[in-house]
Amino acid sequence: MAELDDIIHQPLRLKIMAALNALPAAAAGLEFSRLKKLTGATDGNLGAHIETLARAGYVAVDKAFVGKKPQTTVTATATGRGAFARHVATLQEIIAASAGQS
Amino acid sequence: MSIESREAAAALNDISEIARRVRQSTIYILASLMLIMWGGLTFAGYLASYLWPRYAGYGWVAVYVAGIAGTIIISPLNQTRSGVRTFDLRMFTAFVLFVAFGIFASVWLGHFTPRQLGTFWPIYFMLVYVIVGLWVGRAFVAIGLSIIALTLIGYFFVGDAFDLWMAFVDGGGLILGGLWMRRN
Repeated sequence: MAELDDIIHQPLRLKIMAALNALPAAAAGLEFSRLKKLTGATDGNLGAHIETLARAGYVAVDKAFVGKKPQTTVTATATGRGAFARHVATLQEIIAASAGQS
Repeated sequence: MSIESREAAAALNDISEIARRVRQSTIYILASLMLIMWGGLTFAGYLASYLWPRYAGYGWVAVYVAGIAGTIIISPLNQTRSGVRTFDLRMFTAFVLFVAFGIFASVWLGHFTPRQLGTFWPIYFMLVYVIVGLWVGRAFVAIGLSIIALTLIGYFFVGDAFDLWMAFVDGGGLILGGLWMRRN
């Protein structure tokens, strides 16, 4: 059985990756404020976990100004999408294996 | 790293829940833009009907043309952002069929008076909101039912200022509904 991805498995990072992967690959990503609402995280916590995902190459962070307001947009990279798909497949395998044993 | 199946199931549940919320918020973002645009146009349509009742028919044709044009413009902008295609030939055909049936029922079959027409169309449109809301989100149901109730109050209890009432209830209601959806 494949190993779970330690970076993705942390609960908040799992939510971040799930939210980004729910968008089509062609989408422009999610703004930080929308991601915050969707995950229910605080600014600091969300920022720290996005940073961890970005360091792993799973997400890309784009900072721009819309008018005078700074806007941070987070997008899942191809690497991140692949890692997330493998992580979900492993979770499903764990459940299937457990069902097979019982 | 190894976990038990219970934890794996909980993680998959979290993923499904977040995906559902992303889909719903994507729909709400687009719907809020549409509601605000159609609300503004509807407000103008009823206001024109109140001020110049003889030309109300032309006013409403202009509202529909502007509304369809606005929808066609908003759709690709939203597609760039969300990656979801929202207005295409199928959607346009559904809209035309919907409006055609409304005209057939209210003008050709029903011979409605202007006041009855002003009541029929918002109820007809809001009925779609309520039905769609059963699948995509309660906000649509709440907005639809509120506007239907206020429209019926206007029809039965508001006198000559019915079109003015409808400008605020229907047009204003759609704008407020759109702003509320945007905030949430």
